[in-house]
Amino acid sequence: MPIIELQDVSKLYGFGDATTVALDSVSLSIEEGEFVAVMGPSGCGKSTLMNIIGLLDRPTHGVYNLEGRPVERLRSGQRAKVRRDTIGFVFQFFNLLPRLTVLENVALPLAYKGMSTRKRIKAATNMLERVGLLGREFYYPRHLSGGQAQCAAIARALVNSPRIIIADEPTGNLDSNSSRLVMELLSEIHKTGTTIIFVTHNPELTRYASRVVYMHDGQIVHDEQTAIGDIAKIARKAIYASPVKTEEDDLAGVSTLMKATPGGDKVEPEQKSSKKQTKAKKKARKAAKK
Amino acid sequence: MSAILRGQLRMAYDSVKSSKWRSFLTMLGIIVGIVAVVTVVGIGEGVKRQIAGTLAHFGNDLIIVRPDDTGGTSPGGLGRSDVVFGMSSAVNLTNNDIELVGKAEGVRLHAPLMLIPGTLEFDEKTIISSTKVVGTGADMPQLLNQGLAYGSFWTEEDEGANYAVLGQQAAYAIFDEPVPLGKTFEFRGQSFQVRGIFEPFAKVPFSPTASFDNVVFIPYKTAIRLTSNSVTPYAILAKPTSAGKLGETIKSIRNTMAAARDGERDFSVLESRESINAGSSVIRLLSMWIFAVAVIALLMGGVGIMNIMLLIVTERMHEIGVRKAVGATSRQILNQFVLEATVLSLVGGVIGIIISTAVIGLLRLYTDLDPVISWPAIGIAAGVSIAIGIIFGSVPAIKAARKDPIEALRHE
Repeated sequence: MPIIELQDVSKLYGFGDATTVALDSVSLSIEEGEFVAVMGPSGCGKSTLMNIIGLLDRPTHGVYNLEGRPVERLRSGQRAKVRRDTIGFVFQFFNLLPRLTVLENVALPLAYKGMSTRKRIKAATNMLERVGLLGREFYYPRHLSGGQAQCAAIARALVNSPRIIIADEPTGNLDSNSSRLVMELLSEIHKTGTTIIFVTHNPELTRYASRVVYMHDGQIVHDEQTAIGDIAKIARKAIYASPVKTEEDDLAGVSTLMKATPGGDKVEPEQKSSKKQTKAKKKARKAAKK
Repeated sequence: MSAILRGQLRMAYDSVKSSKWRSFLTMLGIIVGIVAVVTVVGIGEGVKRQIAGTLAHFGNDLIIVRPDDTGGTSPGGLGRSDVVFGMSSAVNLTNNDIELVGKAEGVRLHAPLMLIPGTLEFDEKTIISSTKVVGTGADMPQLLNQGLAYGSFWTEEDEGANYAVLGQQAAYAIFDEPVPLGKTFEFRGQSFQVRGIFEPFAKVPFSPTASFDNVVFIPYKTAIRLTSNSVTPYAILAKPTSAGKLGETIKSIRNTMAAARDGERDFSVLESRESINAGSSVIRLLSMWIFAVAVIALLMGGVGIMNIMLLIVTERMHEIGVRKAVGATSRQILNQFVLEATVLSLVGGVIGIIISTAVIGLLRLYTDLDPVISWPAIGIAAGVSIAIGIIFGSVPAIKAARKDPIEALRHE
């Protein structure tokens, strides 16, 4: 039984002819223990999908079964409890509360569970140790580097031992070293059996994922299983095909990834791209096509 | 649950502390309101204690017979309660009533109080002062439990004599000396000899006119003779043979007097408690005003708190989103903000209580009032501030709690 199962889930905003479709009949099922990377251009509905999976938002249509239970009709109090006990969130901008210390931030979900102060401190300290922030418990978030802040945020997401971690661009605001730190941490967590879904724009990071989902215009246009350690095929195109982006594309706001994606642009998707293929070769081929 | 509460309490306290100036301005209305409430209750309590003291001094069994004031109250509403101590103008008791009261069953002591017009002269000079001359009976010192500092009061046999007993201020006003025993002064063409000087009379709260210290007492029979029967008592005081027979005695006085008037009851017979308990209407009026101010100030304070809480909720929208994302239920968010409003309001209340102790201290120093800081007043103040926090904090808190987590998270 998949831990997350979406059937024809749609999310609409606005009314009448101003209606925007953020999600267009998305069906997706994720098994326990998967490490899913969600990619796609800005505005393709990735975040909406994350919010719906994370029970922060409700779908307009469709069925959502979480742990085999339909949750799209739960009342807000019950949804909060599901979020508290089953789901951990990691955000792009960390979303640590600035007026609380790191320890208090990490202990926050436990407080809402009604755990005693002593137990909370113990659990939060353990979690900080796990993410390598021991000794910084009484710092305020503003005293942490971006990478450390994200690690603290991950500790907060983990403190309730959730089955699912949802990370919306966890490295979007970090340099490459910190990104690696954060992704290594997530993959450590994944090894303990936690299901992780993360959004990223960085094709390199699909190395960590066991599955890559590509979205476009509110639909899932590509879904591939990959071996952990390999860059997904779909993402590889973005890396190797980067020069295809032209000046006109820049003006139109078309990203490289968009062009390298099936349905994303008129550019033909590469059916087979070998790792040995060099950038230069590709460039030459493109030039020849023109 | 208590762990959450404690955390939220600390958060709320931090929030109040982190923007002191804004919090203070918000609390201002609450502070003013609480100061007003505590002060009013304190003054009221003080008056009650003073009255209790006065009653204890007179004894609980003092009976006062006085004319019904049929609209004859003086400006400022001092009429009713001032009958014993002040000088009411609505006189319709008769000199016959004095004897009737004396003859009524169960009456041990009785004495009239009658105001006698005329000028005082000493050493060929007219005394210009507010000193009043009051005719009364030999039982008067016993009736009011009033001791003499010097000399003695006249006895029943001397009731027609030209004797006088003076309050201390009156002695100064006429003779310019503290103990003018044996000296004489002129009143309505006759000489009066000073037989005694009273001790200072018990202070009567809020009746500046009621002081007997500035009164010359002469025997009422002498007064009737002097004025050819034209003055009448404005009150008759009496005491029963025993305190237990107070009610019966009041009844018998009432019946005796009514019988003499063919059943017409244009007088009233009251215990001193009834007479004083009505309290001064001035203080009552003042209290009502201050109370109105307090209510308005507290309402404004509440609205201020609501306002600032709405601002805080908007400011912290992102935080609300994060809290909801990590699993806070709407109820928990609601509680947090109601608690915060309550802490804000309660801190205001505590500041108000502290200020009102200062105000009460100043009142004790610079006025005749003897306000006290009472636990009930502090309890009321604390209760009111908590209630205001909860009532006016709920609207912003509900707004915060109902906020969609996504929208809240988007808020920066």
